[in-house]
Amino acid sequence: MLAKNCYGCHTQAAMGGFRMDTREALMKGGKSGVAVVEGKPAESLMVAAINQTNERLKMPPSGKLAQADIDLITAWVKDGAVFPEKLMQSAPAASDLELTPEQKAFWSFRPVQKQTPPVVRNAQWVRSPIDRFILARIEKEGLKPAHTADRRTLLRRATYDLTGLPPTPEETKIFMEDRSAGAWEKVIDRLLASSQYGERWARYWLDIARYADDKLNSTVDEPYPNAFRYRNWVIGAFNRDLPYNQFVKAQIAGDLMPSQDPNQFAAGTGFFALSPEMQDERVDALTRGFLGLTVACAQCHDHKFDPIPTKDFYSLQGIMNSSELHETPLAGELIVKAWTAQKKELDLVEKRTKEFYDNQARVLGEVLAAQAARYLMAAQGVDDAKDLDVETLERWKKYLVSDRLYHPFLNPFRALVIAKAQPAELWKEARRFQELVLAVNDEKKLVDEQNKVILGLDPTRKDLSQTQLNAMDRDRTVLWRDLFERSISDAGGAFRYGAGVMYYGKGAIERFLTGQWKSYVEEQKKLEEAKRKALPEKYPFLQTMSEKEKPADMKVYVRGDRNNLGDVAPRRFLAILSSKERAAFHQGSGRLQLAEAIADPQNPLTARVIVNRVWQQHFGRGIVATPSNFGQLGERPTHPELLDYLAADFVINGWSLKKLHKSILMSATYGLAVENIEANLTKDPDNHLFWRANRRRVDAETLRDSLLFASGEIDLKPADMPAKLDDDKNLKRTVYGFIGRRKLDGMLALFDFPNPQATTESRMSTLVPPQRLFLMNSPFMEQRAIALAKRLSGSQDEKVKQAYRILYCREPDLDELKLALQFLADADWAQYARVLLGSNEFLFVN
Amino acid sequence: MQRRDFLETIGAGFGMYGLAGLLQGATTSSNPLAVRAPHFPAKAKRIIYLFLNGGPSQVDTFDPKPMLTKYHGKPMPSGTLKTERKTGNLMRSPFEFKHYGKSGIEVSEIFPKLGGVIDEFSVIRSMYTDRPNHEPSLLLLNSGDKLPGRPSMGSWLTYGLGSENQNLPGYVVLCPGLPVLGHQNWASNFLPAVYQGTYIPMAEKDPKKLIQYIRNSSLSPEKQRKELDLLEAINRHHMAKEGQDSQLEATIQSAEIAFRMQAEAPDAFDITKEPEAVRARYGDSDFGRGCLIARRLAERGVRMVQLYHGNFQPWDSHDDIELHRPLADQSDGAIAALIQDLKASGLLDETIVLVGGEFGRTPVVEVGGLVKVQNGRDHNNHGFSYLVAGGGFKRGTVYGSTDEFGFAAQENKVHIHDLHATVLNQLGLDHTKLTYRHSGRDYRLTDVAGNVVRGVIA
Repeated sequence: MLAKNCYGCHTQAAMGGFRMDTREALMKGGKSGVAVVEGKPAESLMVAAINQTNERLKMPPSGKLAQADIDLITAWVKDGAVFPEKLMQSAPAASDLELTPEQKAFWSFRPVQKQTPPVVRNAQWVRSPIDRFILARIEKEGLKPAHTADRRTLLRRATYDLTGLPPTPEETKIFMEDRSAGAWEKVIDRLLASSQYGERWARYWLDIARYADDKLNSTVDEPYPNAFRYRNWVIGAFNRDLPYNQFVKAQIAGDLMPSQDPNQFAAGTGFFALSPEMQDERVDALTRGFLGLTVACAQCHDHKFDPIPTKDFYSLQGIMNSSELHETPLAGELIVKAWTAQKKELDLVEKRTKEFYDNQARVLGEVLAAQAARYLMAAQGVDDAKDLDVETLERWKKYLVSDRLYHPFLNPFRALVIAKAQPAELWKEARRFQELVLAVNDEKKLVDEQNKVILGLDPTRKDLSQTQLNAMDRDRTVLWRDLFERSISDAGGAFRYGAGVMYYGKGAIERFLTGQWKSYVEEQKKLEEAKRKALPEKYPFLQTMSEKEKPADMKVYVRGDRNNLGDVAPRRFLAILSSKERAAFHQGSGRLQLAEAIADPQNPLTARVIVNRVWQQHFGRGIVATPSNFGQLGERPTHPELLDYLAADFVINGWSLKKLHKSILMSATYGLAVENIEANLTKDPDNHLFWRANRRRVDAETLRDSLLFASGEIDLKPADMPAKLDDDKNLKRTVYGFIGRRKLDGMLALFDFPNPQATTESRMSTLVPPQRLFLMNSPFMEQRAIALAKRLSGSQDEKVKQAYRILYCREPDLDELKLALQFLADADWAQYARVLLGSNEFLFVN
Repeated sequence: MQRRDFLETIGAGFGMYGLAGLLQGATTSSNPLAVRAPHFPAKAKRIIYLFLNGGPSQVDTFDPKPMLTKYHGKPMPSGTLKTERKTGNLMRSPFEFKHYGKSGIEVSEIFPKLGGVIDEFSVIRSMYTDRPNHEPSLLLLNSGDKLPGRPSMGSWLTYGLGSENQNLPGYVVLCPGLPVLGHQNWASNFLPAVYQGTYIPMAEKDPKKLIQYIRNSSLSPEKQRKELDLLEAINRHHMAKEGQDSQLEATIQSAEIAFRMQAEAPDAFDITKEPEAVRARYGDSDFGRGCLIARRLAERGVRMVQLYHGNFQPWDSHDDIELHRPLADQSDGAIAALIQDLKASGLLDETIVLVGGEFGRTPVVEVGGLVKVQNGRDHNNHGFSYLVAGGGFKRGTVYGSTDEFGFAAQENKVHIHDLHATVLNQLGLDHTKLTYRHSGRDYRLTDVAGNVVRGVIA
């Protein structure tokens, strides 16, 4: 009983400093004090905790135990809490969890129920079935709904909601003047049909998909040139209203879905193919994204709150590990073959040229080394330097007085120079040094040969790091490096060494080459150049997933430790979402079967999770306030019946998101004003009951897009390759901008754009001074302000009015006009435009 | 997430906002950077973290091992521990150790000036961590986890305590170039973005260019003042129509703060305001300038300044341990000057100065095929040293030890989690209570581990 109910938290994890897996630990208790007093249940904190009579400690957190169980434990404590020796071990982490009826009955695991909208008192207020669910609660709690928002506010709200942009003055005028019954519906249909809809709503999904355009683990920007194809696939899916069940399946197993066009769905697997490297969070993104479940919590131990055993995590991870990254070419086979062949040729020529240069550099080094003594003497002006190479002599001069000689071999010569020794003495030492240099070079060659034998051909980095190679001693190596090595830096990159005194590589060695050598190298260079020029840009491809040749089940990593393997976890779906006879997946990796299980209309989570996400974006808060966590630790739905109504309706409507949007926007609930009603605020300050609309700061991309839109500069054409967002010339919508996983764009980060390394369920909305610095000082704002000022024409009054229509969809009042004219008396229009663009009315949507 | 939820989350674990701590600019508790009271009275208010990135060798800096000299060239008797690369026999330090200060703590000759202030430090010689590779170790040191995705220590601190100076970022990171893993080292990840480190590229010398958007190049302060006055009038007018709203109020406040920030921030980064003699003591290196800026930021109440020694990982001396000498040259005087100045102004009492890298190095020579000169040391997560001064830490103390060759921590072992727990403790934070709910569970800097190291606390 303890193992089943308590060990999740009170063994290895020792929550509250309390372990229960040995008698000693149980007696000792945790941070709250002694847990068990032998024979005295009344004095035992643990007994109080499970009875839930203690003020603070009510255990287990998932719900009170059955009275019979509590009685048993109480009796056991009374009998002295005897701990059989064989139970002194911790519960094994990889146990097959037995699902209890209570667990199966948790709200989010119950099948979606078709709901009948409830009866309400104020039936006149109702405009859609949604309203009945909302109003019933409002009435039950004794609140009243806010007024309906005015038409201007509604239009602005809907336009921002569905497209991420403000309405134009013309659109505002049309709607304000259209008094027909279908005016509102017309607006919704127009917005849903615009391609800006997909751009807006795809971005929400890209938060969940932790989309980025570059590689994380790199010291330089390494963009993925084809990542945008997934981004555009998502935008397209929203715009053509791809049924959500297919949208889900495509992202998990699009490469395996039957289709006329083989790439129609494969592009969706970018969801995983573009995962951040280094950390494997694919199961996390999969389960939180599609199911609202935190399965990754079960990686090291059974999930502490939800019925997800560790084994289930490895069942899913096994599916992922049986799949691999793949490049799906978007060019014909011939083009791919030709490009690959051409690239191979170029590689060969480059290799040949490089080897030639390396060999020549080595030989030249030896030639020059054989004259080292003369260079040393010529550097002192003792040798006449006849036939010596001028550049090499200059290098020797510099080297001899360097303060970075980290070997002792030139010390005697330098000492003799300082002591102004006789030429004969100097010559003797110089020749001795020359002999040493030649010997060191010979030794290096020998060592290199030996090491080649030790390593064999083409060792990996790992082989290299684990292999002991031969080496000269430290001082001799330093000398060799200083004289013969090409330019290098030390391992940490702290110190950079220029090319060795006698090293001449490509670009420097050419003047030493004559005759056949010279013509050969020139020929090679020409050839290389021609091949490089002839090689076209790499053909386009999709970053996709594909099946590994040999799919395999994983073994559980006990406590997350890969060196401690437990039971085999067959590739299959989660126990809590499966029937009792849970079949293992045997088609390849099992991805397609997994996708089908997730997109199954019987799955209680998939539809609920997505309709809740849509609701959240429209209202600022989900019916479940934790959109990616529908488990024990997530929030409970404020309107469970409404959630089920929407989910069931959604599936009946062919998983159409556009129909879902429309049903929400047509409701009276959506049309409420932002209104302070004191009585309501006292009872429900956070508006859990949706009795009014929530005022929201626009998010990062909406801000950038609407600034460009208001200034009249926005370029609404879709983009393929992403341009940097801090590029002055980039006037495209933000969704098409470069999203860096290595470094997020400064403006995006400032306005709470999520970190694209993990799936994100909702945006933060901070209001901090650095944001104002951007609005006050950034060149981006300056340019928008100038452009907006230029857009305005006519009299002073008229210009102010135009600005208000563009930015706020309304006319200025007299006070506002007066403020404007006062300010403009000694300020320019761009300044005025900047103030309006940074005003609260522009930054917030009601 | 709704603003209200967000604020509740911020408040989680604190009971209430620290109203007593409200300083200039932090006008309402709706400011996520408002000063918040610690869990219990704090010894320290801030931290300067000097990060010697790359992994300095303990046996060549702060952990002398005569046995290494004695057994030089011989195999380690008990066998070597597993590190990243193949290693060989024991290798003596090319540097001598000397006794310094009243405490007589031994420090390598490559840090003579740091030796001069060693009486201010607790020298922890028994640090250890989990992985012998840079990336996971950097992440562990900075965020308490081996994998990317957790908030960094500075993010936790500004989340927990807010910022004492609303005109400056609460968490500043200085680095010439970028360390390995770059911006991930100071990411706030799932904590709100407002808590991420503000990266200042030290290579940029003009203080006005150091902070994003700190200055409007085409507008005089007077003209800008007029813009802000108009903005406030328009916003007040708007709010009068809309009704009271904390969000609308917060943006009005933040405009005022931003205006003041413009004046204060460039000044903080401008070391030309320091006398020539002071600058000379810090030295004309990126690290020296960084230490001086760190001091100026600490004086202005910045919660955490983290200074990386250099681009990439300078202390990663695989090939040749002799390279530790020029590296020490670049940092020795600067660290000493920083300690002296903080002490003279009394700030050292409430400022933690932490010095160390992501791990140590092996007492045995590295022989893996990746090195050219076999005179260096491999990464070593089993044992290394950290220096910590000020902020209620013991002075002139050595804590813990490694084995007789300096390979593994042995006595009074201190894991990264323990170090984090101790630093948080000095800042008045219980590391088990500084939590944030994310992805279905409460996260903390110390994961599920960490004990306060009482032995280094005064």
